[in-house]
Amino acid sequence: MAISFQNVTYRYPGSEVGVFGIDLEIEDGELLVVIGPSGSGKTTLLKLLAGFLEAQSGRILVDGESVSGLPPHRRNLGIVFQAYALFQHMTAVQNVAYPLKVRGVPRAARLEQARRALARVGLDGLGGRLPANLSGGQQQRVALARALVFSPRALLLDEPLSALDAFRRAEMRDEIARVQRDAGIATLHVTHDLEEAMSIGDRVAVMHGGRLLQVAAPQTLYDMPVDRRVGAFVGKANLWEATVSAPGWIASPVGALACDTTGFAPGSSVTAMVRPERILPLADPAEAKADGVVLAGAVSLDRFAGPIRRFDMGVGQSVVHGETAGYRGPIAAVQIPSEAIRLLPPETVDA
Amino acid sequence: MAVLTCLYLIYLVAPIALLLLGSFGGVWANSMLPSGATLHWYGALLDDPSLSRAFRTSLTVVSATCVIDVVIGLPAAYALHSQASKSVRFAGRLISLLPVAVPELTLAFGFILLFSTDTLPWLGTSSLLIAGHVVLTLPYLLNTLLADMEHLRLAELEMVAGSLGAGFGNRFFDIVVPTLRHSVLSGLITVAALSIGEFQLSNLVSGFLNRTYPTFLLQAFYGATGFACAATVVLLSLALAAAVVGALVARAGGSART
Repeated sequence: MAISFQNVTYRYPGSEVGVFGIDLEIEDGELLVVIGPSGSGKTTLLKLLAGFLEAQSGRILVDGESVSGLPPHRRNLGIVFQAYALFQHMTAVQNVAYPLKVRGVPRAARLEQARRALARVGLDGLGGRLPANLSGGQQQRVALARALVFSPRALLLDEPLSALDAFRRAEMRDEIARVQRDAGIATLHVTHDLEEAMSIGDRVAVMHGGRLLQVAAPQTLYDMPVDRRVGAFVGKANLWEATVSAPGWIASPVGALACDTTGFAPGSSVTAMVRPERILPLADPAEAKADGVVLAGAVSLDRFAGPIRRFDMGVGQSVVHGETAGYRGPIAAVQIPSEAIRLLPPETVDA
Repeated sequence: MAVLTCLYLIYLVAPIALLLLGSFGGVWANSMLPSGATLHWYGALLDDPSLSRAFRTSLTVVSATCVIDVVIGLPAAYALHSQASKSVRFAGRLISLLPVAVPELTLAFGFILLFSTDTLPWLGTSSLLIAGHVVLTLPYLLNTLLADMEHLRLAELEMVAGSLGAGFGNRFFDIVVPTLRHSVLSGLITVAALSIGEFQLSNLVSGFLNRTYPTFLLQAFYGATGFACAATVVLLSLALAAAVVGALVARAGGSART
């Protein structure tokens, strides 16, 4: 195991904010993305690993060795920061060669290695430029090359794409994933961008209020969140407070719904989650095909957004949010397939 | 509004113009303007040994002040900047700003009291003069450096350098010093300009043989007016040169940052 957090706690002095009882492991070559709203503790986690903060309890292991008490410059971890943080008085190649310089690599050798590292991130021939003469995306590539050139034990990425525009962000996201895979290095990537997390993470850890809510593969997280908070955070969702009325049935604000109730006794409270793209729009309730309850109602909102169409339908005392990619016709009813309904524990008081 | 501006400009420029006129004028006594034209006063300046001594003293004091300010100021600013506790940072800034707030005379009187004793008989020495200039000018360099450390996100750059394996020495000499080079330079221009023109303290603590240029000027005005004017024009030219160099450095620094 390359990186291991064992019951790590850190509370910022004079506040209630921090991270609490974190257990997290990152395997060799794995890209683990930590995601959460601002103040959830994701950057704190990165700072603890980097050595900018020291855990108050628990321990952090890198390649099986505890790094507690080691200053950042002795931890041998490559870090890419949000604002690139290139040294403005050095050229791109000097920036990349800097970690080799402080390790005593002779000048010619380190410049050669730095040039190769720049070539690997697609910046062949731009090594002589000062950071001020590079675009945002190019600067971030330099920062990435600099963080990898000294073969660190792990790579830490602190919201590395947030300073880029939307187009560059997508491009750089794929670039980071490619370079990380080529380097085969354990990577902790912190972001608040859901699409970024889901698209490049081997696993995604969701944080909230300083605690880890769930760590799972992106698809698992999306389809089978452990609770309402995770379900709502990792994508759009219909979330209804409901009660199990009988095995295979729940009573919800939109009516009785058929679904798998395994694990929940009749009478227990649950949260029913349905992703909007799983809701099937129907022009006529009689068209229903697969199994699943059909609900009739009036469309209160209908928005065409290019590749998808979003609609809200008032049903019972609630609203069903739906999305469809291909259907352009009128909507008089919706069908909710049984397997599209996921039952979660009811909302807890502290949520 | 335009009339007011013109009057104000005249008010600003008139003394300088009069100085220039006086320095090239012949006799100037009991009249609005001097009579005749001559280069005599500049010639007399060149021949005056006490002027060249004052000039040398000023140069020595300015250079020494600049060097000492950097040697003390850069590490001090760095220490204040890296200090995590906000109250310590505030106290540090306050202490460093006191010499700006306290009148120079107070400092000079303090020096006279302290350094005219048998135990510390240094009043009138060049070293004490330089020490006085350092106390007066250091806050300006500190403030320039502290503002730029914030602006250039030095703390973040250091974090990065640390993560890349740089220990304290490497971080300080490879990152902190080069990043702040323009700030140090522009701060030093201010320091030099202040030190060249400083009068109150120098007048009270310098000795007869190490008077600075401004204190020499006061003596000059007791003699021939033309001579005094010519000597002042020299000081003015130096100050102007410092301002121009300062502006150029600030522009170079500004373009390097964008």
